[in-house]
Amino acid sequence: MAKTFTKSKLRDMASGYTFMSPVIIILGCFLLLPIAYAIFLSFHKVNLLGTVSYKFTGTANFERMLDDPRLWIALRNTAKYALIVVPSQTILALLLASILNMKLRYRNFFRIAFYLPTVTSSAVLVLIFMWIYNSNGLLNYLLELVGLPTYNWLGDPSVALLGIMIMNVWSTAPLFMVIYLAALQDIPENLYEAADIDGANAWHKFWRITVPQLKPVTFYVIVMGIIGTFQLFDQSYIFSAGSGGPNNATLTMVLLIYQYAFKNLDMGYASALAFLLAVVIMLITVVQRLIFREERLN
Amino acid sequence: MKKSASVTLGSMLALSLVVSGCGNGSKNGESASPSAGASESASPAKGQVEVTLAGWGSSPDEQQLLQQVLDEFQTKNPDVKVKYEVIADQYMDVIKTRLIGNEAPDLFYLDAFEAPALIEKDVLEPLDGYVTPEFDLGDFEAPTVNAFKSADGKIYGFPKDTSTLALFYNKKMFADAGIEPPTTWDELLTASEKLTKKNGNKVEVYGLGQAPELARQMFMIQAFGGQLTDDQGMAAFATPEAEKGLSLVIDQHTKAKTAGQPSDVGAGWGGEMFGQQKAAMVIEGNWAIPYIQSNFPDVDFGTVEVPTVNDKKGTMAFTVAYVMNKNSKQKEAAWKLLSYLTGKEGMKTWTSKGFALPTRKSVAAELGFDKDPLRGALVAGSSYATSWQAGAALPTIMNNFNNQFVAAYTGGSSLTDAMKKAQETANKEIKAGQ
Repeated sequence: MAKTFTKSKLRDMASGYTFMSPVIIILGCFLLLPIAYAIFLSFHKVNLLGTVSYKFTGTANFERMLDDPRLWIALRNTAKYALIVVPSQTILALLLASILNMKLRYRNFFRIAFYLPTVTSSAVLVLIFMWIYNSNGLLNYLLELVGLPTYNWLGDPSVALLGIMIMNVWSTAPLFMVIYLAALQDIPENLYEAADIDGANAWHKFWRITVPQLKPVTFYVIVMGIIGTFQLFDQSYIFSAGSGGPNNATLTMVLLIYQYAFKNLDMGYASALAFLLAVVIMLITVVQRLIFREERLN
Repeated sequence: MKKSASVTLGSMLALSLVVSGCGNGSKNGESASPSAGASESASPAKGQVEVTLAGWGSSPDEQQLLQQVLDEFQTKNPDVKVKYEVIADQYMDVIKTRLIGNEAPDLFYLDAFEAPALIEKDVLEPLDGYVTPEFDLGDFEAPTVNAFKSADGKIYGFPKDTSTLALFYNKKMFADAGIEPPTTWDELLTASEKLTKKNGNKVEVYGLGQAPELARQMFMIQAFGGQLTDDQGMAAFATPEAEKGLSLVIDQHTKAKTAGQPSDVGAGWGGEMFGQQKAAMVIEGNWAIPYIQSNFPDVDFGTVEVPTVNDKKGTMAFTVAYVMNKNSKQKEAAWKLLSYLTGKEGMKTWTSKGFALPTRKSVAAELGFDKDPLRGALVAGSSYATSWQAGAALPTIMNNFNNQFVAAYTGGSSLTDAMKKAQETANKEIKAGQ
């Protein structure tokens, strides 16, 4: 009896793994192996150009981080970027979604119009925005019209990152708007009706019903937002032609990793930096989970 | 719950690693597959050897001229088929990655400033053994070949052309202001004063258009006896002598406000700024001449040598060579092509339109650019120009210098602080990378 059980179990397992093998192989080759290899590389000094060599250097790559001023600039830029972009895009997404959830005329038109920025390729977006940010461009023209000071958005280190922030909020908020919109339609109507009977006004209903009901979605939106902002690459890459300039103002973590990996060909150090980025993102996610869970207990 | 948390975390780690990896990978993959603009896709016929040649993109006119040289070569050498690829963006990143992957072209362009690093890595073919008497090595201007020599004197590339910088000036603006083109830097500052046109607080026309980057300002470091690097190739530009030259550039922007960078007026580079008549003078190279002539035909301009600083003449020289991949499988055929492109005949066609200056004395004499009204100043510059080259670590030094120099240029920090920081960061990075 036991034997046949094992046999059938084995057969089950075999067929199960056979069905899963394409996924296992693909994930293994393109996900697990690269991760393992990146961790392996981060403990080595790698020379790829010319004579290929791997030299085990222990934690040298990680020690080097402490004394790398550009890493701290990149981390600061990235953190600043995330701190401003994530809240702005989350609030904007929630506002847009609430507006679109009302019984408006031409609602579908607005839904499509608001969503369009997300569909546009980010490279194209950056190029268009670089025209808008041009010293003689649209943005400065508008600022001048209302009497505000104008900036050299592309060349002035103090505003270059802000330019990318504005662009990214504008293009990512609609994506999260759609997620919020779907969640909004899931909130049972009777909650609002009960609130009406209790004499709540629109603001109360929004703050006391809508926002708490959306909390799981907000968690998701913030986590994805933070991961997205910490991985900012293409915009600042195109914006600064790969240099992270002016004056390192648009240097982000991933751009720094790119520079070390493909400009300096220092794969070991670049892998170590990628590892650091992963750890930072994980830590932030853990902290967020803790915060959100605590509130639930209350 | 616990399990799902760890799964979430795990997948987030995986996701973040993969996404950051992908960002790099796909970018690189994208550019690595060459956008072969002018390449010939047909496979080589029987008995033909295929040689791939890669370069960065340039104007359609230049592209056409190169195609003409390649066609001439193929008519003379029916046994060699040339496959020409254009690498549109981030040229050196793509070339290095393809060298690592053993997918590099047989021949490719190499800027003098990147040459020491590649020579050090031993990925280029030394060319001394191929040189024949007919190739006439002595015909090259010595500095242009020396830029591609290793420490032990082997030659790794032959220069295809060179460019220097000269002062471009707008003839009409100068006539209106009643002044002559400047010959010293003091005269340049006074001229800029007169040529700058303001509308309220906003500058409409700058006297001088500047390029606040190392490639254009290296000769200013040397003007008062400063130097970019020391004997070990480490950055050594944070000295009072170097700053004296650089402060001429900075002060004219921050204090006198008679000079600006292209992005201040919404232009992409100096030539565009000059063509749009938002700068009365710019310091640019050969490449700006055909650009301004074809895009801004109404602008009447002249060129003179870069004004003297500290009574010394100075300018920059940018040299580009053809080099051969050490792992090339078609070395003989590749040399045939390389020696034709850098030979007297090929170079004459290639430089005939004056997009760049020839590096062979005989070709220069034959084409007579020294007597050309627009190119004479550029040719004159080559005798005293500073080569855009300074050891294997120059790309690192350049990146740090440019970043900090912009900070000083935009008034974010003092020049002394900026240069000190740039030098420290660059040297740290060089040491850590060794």
